[in-house]
Amino acid sequence: MPRIVLARCAALLLAACFTTTALADDPKGDPQVGHALVYTCGGCHGVAGYHNAYPSYHVPRIGGQNYDYLVNALTEYKKGERAHPTMRAQGESLSDQDIRNIAAYLSSITP
Amino acid sequence: MKSIVLIASLACGVAFNALAAEGGAAPGKNAEELSKSCAACHGADGNATNAQYPRLAGQYHDYLARSLQEYKTGERQNAIMAGFAKTLSEADIDTLARFYADMPGKLDDLAHHEQGAE
Repeated sequence: MPRIVLARCAALLLAACFTTTALADDPKGDPQVGHALVYTCGGCHGVAGYHNAYPSYHVPRIGGQNYDYLVNALTEYKKGERAHPTMRAQGESLSDQDIRNIAAYLSSITP
Repeated sequence: MKSIVLIASLACGVAFNALAAEGGAAPGKNAEELSKSCAACHGADGNATNAQYPRLAGQYHDYLARSLQEYKTGERQNAIMAGFAKTLSEADIDTLARFYADMPGKLDDLAHHEQGAE
């Protein structure tokens, strides 16, 4: 059991190093530019209680989500590393700068 | 007589709790116990302060459950989350998802935050 815990801690540290360095070099996005880009997101994320068609689950709340996580999520969709078809299509249409701008706006939202 | 019954039922309760803590035949782990691993990155209140980790508090419970299921099957790939998700049963996933969904959070739908909406 302690060995498993130790291995997990090592994995955590390793992953943290990678993610942090990847984002640290990029300039932060512009929330105002991002605000103009999120109209596409609203079709699904703008409707409170909106359900993904199949499999059926609520489309996540992304307003107020953390900046780095949003940049990573959109980049993973863009690269095809996350599976959701609609979000992959969205990701492919966005430049890296678009993604940073959108993340800057979304992370600035308060309920 | 009444006090004997009371003592007996108390003793049963203690014995049952001890069993549950052992994790033997107990139905599922409780949210507080399960969420200890999550708190290191996602915060004890579900509002991760390190921006690389998502906020969970106030997120839809079925989205959280779906994410954990995808980490468990490998459909969604993340070295950290795969390790944790593999240890969770379906009941654990449901417990955790509801625990974080019910927390007061900073997340919101975009309904009031699109251009022209305000």
